[in-house]
Amino acid sequence: MALLVLFVLLGVFLAFGVPVAIALGLSSFAYIVIAGLPDVLLIHRMIGGIDSFPLLAVPFFILAGYLMNSGGITTRIFAFARACFGWLPGGLGHVNIGASVIFAGMSGTAVADAGGLGSIEIKAMRDAGYKADFAVGITAASSIIGPIIPPSLPLVIYGVMASVSIGELFVAGVVPGLLMALSLVVMVFYYARKRNYPRDRHVDFCRIWKTLRAALLPLFAPVIVVGGIVTGVFTPTEAAIAAVCYALFLGLAVYRTLGWRQLLRVCVDTIETSASILMIVGAAAVFAWILTANQVAVLLSDQLLGWSENPLVLLMVMMLLTLIIGLFMETIAAITILVPVLMPVVLAVGIDPVHFGILLILNLMLGLLTPPVGMVLFVLSKVSGVRFEQCVRATLPFLVPLVAVLLIVAVVPQTALWIPNLLYR
Amino acid sequence: MNTQETNPRDPQANGARNADMPDFELEEISADLSDVSPLDIPVLVIFVTLFVIVALQFFTRYVLNDSLGWTEEIARYFLIMMGFVGAIMCVRKDSHIRLEFLYRYLPDASIKPLLIAVAFIGFGFWGYAGWLGIELAQRTNANMASVQIPKSTIYYVVAAGCFVMAAYALRHCAIKYRQSSADILRETRTPQVEDI
Repeated sequence: MALLVLFVLLGVFLAFGVPVAIALGLSSFAYIVIAGLPDVLLIHRMIGGIDSFPLLAVPFFILAGYLMNSGGITTRIFAFARACFGWLPGGLGHVNIGASVIFAGMSGTAVADAGGLGSIEIKAMRDAGYKADFAVGITAASSIIGPIIPPSLPLVIYGVMASVSIGELFVAGVVPGLLMALSLVVMVFYYARKRNYPRDRHVDFCRIWKTLRAALLPLFAPVIVVGGIVTGVFTPTEAAIAAVCYALFLGLAVYRTLGWRQLLRVCVDTIETSASILMIVGAAAVFAWILTANQVAVLLSDQLLGWSENPLVLLMVMMLLTLIIGLFMETIAAITILVPVLMPVVLAVGIDPVHFGILLILNLMLGLLTPPVGMVLFVLSKVSGVRFEQCVRATLPFLVPLVAVLLIVAVVPQTALWIPNLLYR
Repeated sequence: MNTQETNPRDPQANGARNADMPDFELEEISADLSDVSPLDIPVLVIFVTLFVIVALQFFTRYVLNDSLGWTEEIARYFLIMMGFVGAIMCVRKDSHIRLEFLYRYLPDASIKPLLIAVAFIGFGFWGYAGWLGIELAQRTNANMASVQIPKSTIYYVVAAGCFVMAAYALRHCAIKYRQSSADILRETRTPQVEDI
């Protein structure tokens, strides 16, 4: 009875636009009152949910993302990617993917990628004579590589909620992220042949060298962050701090794009974004605690296991559920609600939680590319001036290669687990 | 804005020219501080302190090879404070993450009362959470593990954050009440972009 109230209230609050943190907190509070538990539990569990060392990575990865998005850095990376891949058929499409992969190594969110790099990419592609729908589609599709390749904000939140090593999750994302890039490259070749897209003249090693020199310092950022995590020199939190320090060094000392006002602006934005995430994580901790204390998730997993014991079938069912939730809900909120519900199922059927984490995030990322709440599409529509509905249609074909990669990663766990097995186990 | 497909022009002439550096500059990080209020100073102090603490831990571990024991615990406490004090900013600007898609399908007349109700729910939630925070603080006698500061200090800060959020939520309620339905409709029917 009390549990029914919990879920119904949560659903109603979320649907009517109550902030996610309050919806989670208030419905959990209703449960606490009905179940006759001490009400001070609410605030105690909320604080306990935020009281976690790995979560410290959240504000600093967000800060690093904002700092790296300054013009000096993004344009240099784009120019370097263009010199490297621009001569291929469908040149700027490959440039777009390449730049996103490089940028993925410094930023942890898809929206940061779409908002910063995306505006450069779309403008360059349209200037070169590409159709607007192709430009928007490939930019949207390549931006979701960002949170799969480390560092990744959603993976930090997943690691904290599911008690999984964030280092392992980060390195597990490397191969699936590169597979996504590869699948999009194939797609671009196909379009380039079909529509006879322009390319830059030929490979010009002189230009590659020139742009490489200009982009060398920014290119060290992904080397420090990804390299530091993969080799185990840095914990994710330390990698976040290192990324911030390096971005500050570039912005203050090398390119001098940062003044006090810009710095204050970036800090305020970081605090605002981090605080709203921390509140959701805190409130979700109360919700998760109720589910665990009542064995709800265990009941659900028994139910599912009675239905089928094939891990692959159950994995597909859970992925479908995640995909549907991801259509409507913001990534972080979806993770905090889904993980406590699905984790016991995952453990019961013997799916590796690291493998599941990558799949969960991949699913939720596809939700960023689809209406009604396609955050990446909102951003791209804003920076490109292409209408939202047209962005939706433009991105649709690019979902095919991404879903194909999702299925490959689901069926072949080694794609995700190969590097973590090599390094950690 | 022209959303028609552009005709592919001469690729050699357009694609290759100025390819070394894009011929435009991305908008630099904005220096617009119009939405920053003096009330943000406490959370900025907390944030900068948190950064210094974590950087200090990083520095002592790698350079001095001997990490400071208190940094980890204190960093976690500062993170908690940053969450609850920083969330004030989200309530003030009404930027807490929430689902808005249903608003596109609801009848026009229901939007204003709904938004007022949502703001009022926020007022009730944060107000009560603040009260619980005080209660928790009063029940806590222990000191922090690594420093001689009562742990209840954190809870008082959390409670203060909740109370300020409740106050802002109430103010938001009043703002929505006074705003005309037409203005509210225009605001809610255009998709908002949040940077997450």
